[in-house]
Amino acid sequence: MAVSGFEGFEKRLELQFFTHNPVIGIGLRELDFQSLEQVLHQVQCTVVSALGNRHFDSYVLSESSLFVYPTKIIIKTCGTTQLLKSVQPFINHARTLNLELFTLRYTRGSFIFPEAQPHPHTSFHEEVMFLEDNIPQNLCYKKASVVPSKLTSHSWHVFSAGAVEYSDNAPYTVEVCMTNLDQTLAQKFFRHPNDRKNGDSAGREMTGKTGINRINPNAQICDFAFDPCGYSMNGLDGDRYSTIHVTPEDGFSYASFECLGSDHIDMAEMVKKAVKVFGPGTVSVATTGAGDDMCKRIKAAVEDVGMKCRSWSTDVAPAAGKVVFQTFTSRRRT
Amino acid sequence: MGAQVSSQQRSRSRSRPRSGSDHGEVLSVHSSDNWNTLFQNSRSSNKLMVIDFSADWCGPCKFIEPTVHDFADEFSDVDFIKIDVDELPDVAKDFDVKAMPTFVLVKKGKERERIVGVKKDDLHRMIEKHRF
Repeated sequence: MAVSGFEGFEKRLELQFFTHNPVIGIGLRELDFQSLEQVLHQVQCTVVSALGNRHFDSYVLSESSLFVYPTKIIIKTCGTTQLLKSVQPFINHARTLNLELFTLRYTRGSFIFPEAQPHPHTSFHEEVMFLEDNIPQNLCYKKASVVPSKLTSHSWHVFSAGAVEYSDNAPYTVEVCMTNLDQTLAQKFFRHPNDRKNGDSAGREMTGKTGINRINPNAQICDFAFDPCGYSMNGLDGDRYSTIHVTPEDGFSYASFECLGSDHIDMAEMVKKAVKVFGPGTVSVATTGAGDDMCKRIKAAVEDVGMKCRSWSTDVAPAAGKVVFQTFTSRRRT
Repeated sequence: MGAQVSSQQRSRSRSRPRSGSDHGEVLSVHSSDNWNTLFQNSRSSNKLMVIDFSADWCGPCKFIEPTVHDFADEFSDVDFIKIDVDELPDVAKDFDVKAMPTFVLVKKGKERERIVGVKKDDLHRMIEKHRF
């Protein structure tokens, strides 16, 4: 592991809103672009590409992704971004549309370079304190937990807060984090020095060459390749998003795959295909709101591609549902 | 009666749709009749036509709108057409538009290139590539 480098592990924030209005309309999608940019500026990132469909808007950011649904915002950023600084501005902008915060969920893995993180991300404790100070009082069902694994460098951090307790019918979320990527596969995410392409066309080429487009052939993809290396994509399939981010450099290589799940899709197969793209040495899979059956299917799928499950830990987040955190390492290593 | 074409800068009833503009406008097309006429005209012309499929409720479409206008100014020899997928869902379906914005570059009635999403550099390059 390098002494320092780019932090691939993301911080993820999900905000759900409710309204007293009888008709929601397009809700948060009504927010004008200047307002969104203003929030992103506070988090130190910018929009590099975007794509929308009937159900939601997606934005590829300089440091990961943003999804805007009528009553839900998901923002995921990596590096040393101060993601939690977006909480207050999002709450304020939503209020202008008569939308009130209903649940909040903040999750992340363990940073590769924790000392490089700025306030309030210097520790989970500090993040939780910051969140407690910035969320409205009515979100009274709160919990902060660190879900451990057998790998000391890999824990899953969850803070959730809600106005009511979790109910079972929400779609579940799967967050896959991969490190120690196979370097031959990681090379595909480096730009060629004289490729005469731009970030858009280079991104499109990477999506095809790496097989990312085959993870969910039904999805519309918005991709981008960074210079000299790095890749991001958002996938849109009906009302379900997916997103992949890659930091390919040896020494701190990282890739993430996240997807919104439902009963109608083969999530395990998608996770398996994603792991195959990167050939990682270590994989962690965190699911929120998924049943045990689905988690077992995912476990079997990941073990099918040369990994061995090292731990399976669970927790219950009152406002988000059951959290299952599994870690895997490559069979060829002990 | 009469076909209606409105451009971004002014909106008037006209008895015939305009085939294009030399002044860097983006023409919004609101009726299928109008669209059909425009498309037919384009088949017999050598002009590149850039169709911007977008929607009112689509944030990314609003994000790229100023750029589309800039390109319309820069490439005054290219026709820029805007189609709202709710207003003309059949045309959107004909062109297999699944996400927005989708830019379809058409010349002599045939699709030459398509850009799905906000990709300013790519869109610029493709227009340059196909304009002559």
